[in-house]
Amino acid sequence: MVSYIIKRSLLSIPLLVIISFLTFGLNNLSPLDPVEVILHAQGVPTITDELIVETKAALGMDRPFLIRYLNWFVSCLQLDFGNSYVTGKTVWSLLAPAFLNTLKLTLISAAAIIALSIGLGVISALREGKMTDKSIRGVSFFLTSMPPYWLAALMVWYFSVQLDLLPTSGMDSYESYILPVIVITISYTGIYFRMVRSSMLSNMNEDYVLYGRASGLPEKKITMHILRNSLQVAISVFCMAIPIILGSTVVVENIFAWPGLGTLSVKSILSRDFPIIQAYVLVLAMAFVLFNTVSDIINAAMNPKLRKGH
Amino acid sequence: MKRLQFLLKDKLAAASLSILVVTIVAGIFAPLFAPHDPEEVHMELRYAASSWEYLLGNDHLGRCILSRLIFGIRPSVLWVLAALAVSVGIGAILGFIAGYFRGLTDAVVMRICDVMLSFPGYVMTLAVIGILGVGLENILIAFVLMKWAWFTRIIRTSVMQYAESDYVKFSKVLGVSDIKIITKHMVPVSLPDIAVIASSSFGSMILQLSGFSFLGLGIQAPNAEWGMMLNEAREVMFSKPEFMLAPGLTIIVVVSAINFLSDALQVALDPKLLASKYKLQGQGPASTARLQGKEVA
Amino acid sequence: MTRKIVVLLSAFIVSIVLLAGCSGGNAAKTGAADSGKELVYATAKDINDMNPHLYPGSLPAQGMVYESLVENTEDGIKPLLAESWDVSEDGKVYTFHLRKDVKFHDGEPFNADAVKQNIEAVQSNASKHSWIKLSTKIVSASVLDEHTFELVLSEPYYPALLELSMTRPYVFISPKDFVNGETKDGVSGHNGTGPYKLSEHKTDQYATFEANENYWGGAPKVNKITAKVLPAGETTFLALQKGEVNFIFTDDRGSDSIDVDAMNQLMDSGDFQLVRSKAMNTKMIVANSSKSDSPAHETAVREAIWYSIDRETISKQIFSGTETAANTLFSSNVNYANVELKKRGFDLDTAKQLLEKAGWMLEKGSEVRTKDGKPLAMKLYYDVSSSSQKTEAEFIQNTLKKVGVQLELIGEESSSIANRRATGDYDLLFNQTWGLAYDPQSTISAFTSESAYYHTTSGISKADELYKNIDEVMVTMDEEKRKSLYADILTIVHDEAVFIPLTNGSVTIVAPTGLQGISFKQTQFELPFEQMYFE
Repeated sequence: MVSYIIKRSLLSIPLLVIISFLTFGLNNLSPLDPVEVILHAQGVPTITDELIVETKAALGMDRPFLIRYLNWFVSCLQLDFGNSYVTGKTVWSLLAPAFLNTLKLTLISAAAIIALSIGLGVISALREGKMTDKSIRGVSFFLTSMPPYWLAALMVWYFSVQLDLLPTSGMDSYESYILPVIVITISYTGIYFRMVRSSMLSNMNEDYVLYGRASGLPEKKITMHILRNSLQVAISVFCMAIPIILGSTVVVENIFAWPGLGTLSVKSILSRDFPIIQAYVLVLAMAFVLFNTVSDIINAAMNPKLRKGH
Repeated sequence: MKRLQFLLKDKLAAASLSILVVTIVAGIFAPLFAPHDPEEVHMELRYAASSWEYLLGNDHLGRCILSRLIFGIRPSVLWVLAALAVSVGIGAILGFIAGYFRGLTDAVVMRICDVMLSFPGYVMTLAVIGILGVGLENILIAFVLMKWAWFTRIIRTSVMQYAESDYVKFSKVLGVSDIKIITKHMVPVSLPDIAVIASSSFGSMILQLSGFSFLGLGIQAPNAEWGMMLNEAREVMFSKPEFMLAPGLTIIVVVSAINFLSDALQVALDPKLLASKYKLQGQGPASTARLQGKEVA
Repeated sequence: MTRKIVVLLSAFIVSIVLLAGCSGGNAAKTGAADSGKELVYATAKDINDMNPHLYPGSLPAQGMVYESLVENTEDGIKPLLAESWDVSEDGKVYTFHLRKDVKFHDGEPFNADAVKQNIEAVQSNASKHSWIKLSTKIVSASVLDEHTFELVLSEPYYPALLELSMTRPYVFISPKDFVNGETKDGVSGHNGTGPYKLSEHKTDQYATFEANENYWGGAPKVNKITAKVLPAGETTFLALQKGEVNFIFTDDRGSDSIDVDAMNQLMDSGDFQLVRSKAMNTKMIVANSSKSDSPAHETAVREAIWYSIDRETISKQIFSGTETAANTLFSSNVNYANVELKKRGFDLDTAKQLLEKAGWMLEKGSEVRTKDGKPLAMKLYYDVSSSSQKTEAEFIQNTLKKVGVQLELIGEESSSIANRRATGDYDLLFNQTWGLAYDPQSTISAFTSESAYYHTTSGISKADELYKNIDEVMVTMDEEKRKSLYADILTIVHDEAVFIPLTNGSVTIVAPTGLQGISFKQTQFELPFEQMYFE
């Protein structure tokens, strides 16, 4: 097991390097000359060609691409992502709190999604084809087809305006979490619920269920077996749910004025603040790879067969 | 054909299919269906309620909401469909090559896919918009960029099973050319699989596109697009909530139709296939589910 | 196996609950807006860097915390931190007699030495302040005694006191907050002399300001003001309705967060009052005359745009009559701006003729005019957080289409638009004049400043004459000469149609009914919060 963990972790390192390289390359595709932007951000009124050359040299931007990449990579490892073009603050000082806020929202939503989708998925699979199954599936289909921002608007209108129960936006208290979490939960539960259900169903068709029944095992025990096997599959999927939600709270955050990554990234795009966009992409892609690695490891821990397979 | 008939027996699926067909036709022939020019401004009709002349009322510039909804089908549905087709196309070509020939090509293609798939979808889209700027084209580019890798993977998996099947092996022994085997034997059997996975992505892509437009990162004025219309309605969300209804419900109806159809397709095409597929792969359900997990992004 | 899963899941859930617990600490700090003596105002943007000698910060917030030597009022320049001042015969030496009872928020005394250090800190970062011409004319700042301070200029400069009265940069922060004797690389605290102190700031969430009990003008009656970051539009409206905020005003970027109908709905509830200042500025579209590959470079095209804007409809429909149509860069009540200028009304035929004459022809079957194969297409940038700008842009886009001009609309954050204005990377963009205190002298001297309107004005044929006049008008001490120079300047930019006026904007405040003492300053950028009190 330990050797698998080491092997799997090592495997993700080249991926991380490639991602960082791509992200760095992305920034070089931007239509603005970073030096000019920096000078403007510093409020230099007249930008001469000499000044650009000078600043380039001072910032090490005249060196070859690879060297710049290495320098950038090393400073990123020290959490130094440069400064925002717009505010001049360090990117980290803006990104870190936003990341934390989004993480809080994500983890709470993920917990709700997992609990709900397992519960509904199991019930639905056990009642396959019956009214319960049909109605759960119907409702979940309908809910996943709703644009999340529309749902959010509707909920704000009902719970905050009509009933005056919950705050409309911001992150002031526990209550502020309720609406965003519900919206995220609704838009993802449908998908994960389907996964749990189909995983349950395919397990029900497996031979061991047949043998179990044939050898007269009580139905309860068989169900537990099915559940266990299906959840094994589900757990690695759920592990990936966290970085996925982390990266896709954009719309919900913007509606609820949540001071998180989604709000920050959209704002940065609309103000063409490239260092922030770059750091945002890098951090989330890294998180994605890390969670993927962890989910593989968990999966392998639960299912020894897989360790050899890889 | 039989499968199609089977599909049509399911009333819900039949209804979904007809909704989609109507939507697509209306989108293609928008000028014929729309009662007014969608960009015609009538400032005196700002936020007018529905009337016989303007069935769904007028927006903040007095433009006909119904006509805008109909013209909005083009970017909201048709362009997404095009992006989907392109990414499925790329995915199919690479998936067939990788899954059929295996070896080094396969390894290289799969590693590239790994890299692409390690950027979560939303993040990739935001990155592309961040660099290329705001606009519908850029979101579509991002869609193709992030989806092809996923389709390649799925199609490769599906191709690999068929490549192992007896009749393909038999054809190979007979000396039938690879191209012929792929086009004659592989493509027809893989198509249903491709249809299922493509349709399951379609709905979420429509939602994502409208979401980005809603944030003001998508299509630019004066073009009509559903997410953008909702964004405009949001300005008066609480004083005139009725303006959120038409575009919102349209999106829900179309996306639900796609999702129901996709589900029905899966049931119609898959029940036996599914079981045999899992056995072939050994650890089948796990890997499919995991891939689906990634797709959610 | 099952147990393992259960353990994993429960560990996960417990950790989440713990994490959420951590966030609970700051619960309900900004929620209560209705506790009587507090104002919570909505702002579309974070207050940002409160360093008063730099520009990213929120002006209304800085206005509460920092003060200048003198104040610009309707009746002219009045004392503020300086009790009185003398100007030498030649107009070059200003001697200020400072108030003696003023302390910074950190207890440091406000004296001539602090003034000198602050002014020198501003001057050492001169390139940033080039828009404010005074910064180029200060020769020395010296301490005469504890409470007397002397400023020497290189030449007489008539708007000197006006520019000293502005919200920034000539305001004062405790020298203890300087970093390495400077402010240009950041400050270590935000202790000003103003009626409010910054007490807490959570980036992108809120900032709170507490009344300065030791304020030299007497402690302000509203003892706490919170700036809460909310997206503009309906969210703000809702937050007002629910009492999460209780005060809104047109912010420093001119974005009006609530539309007129929604505002009327609030008034009908009886809980709010609406106070509107007199017209303060002109909202306009600024054309880039220096971008030679853009059609906006041509006077005829700019004039055609001017003729194609239906200002009456904009005023009546988009603003429900709350803003009036503007036909000149400055309305005639602005100093020196009562100049006879040719009126260009809404006239599509004239617009078409102008374009034809300039060689922009409409091919059969096409919708966009072309010249030498180049289409008559331009990009118009607007502030995404202003819904009225977007509506205006779409409206104008539609009318221009009728004369064969294609506009591409691009919504961006205001900082990005300011950046475009500075780099010249635009064809057309929305902007506004700087308000009564700044018009016309500061707005006009900004014509020459690269960070402001240099790109707008530098491409016109009479640019040299324009700049010469601007330099001259600022130093001349002869009132008649000044008048005629201003008339020349305004005529040149009017004839060239580089500033295309739309409406005259004002500052709008929505406040709780019980709030008294609401008034305005001579600038759209600040509000006198210290004069407000609850009944």
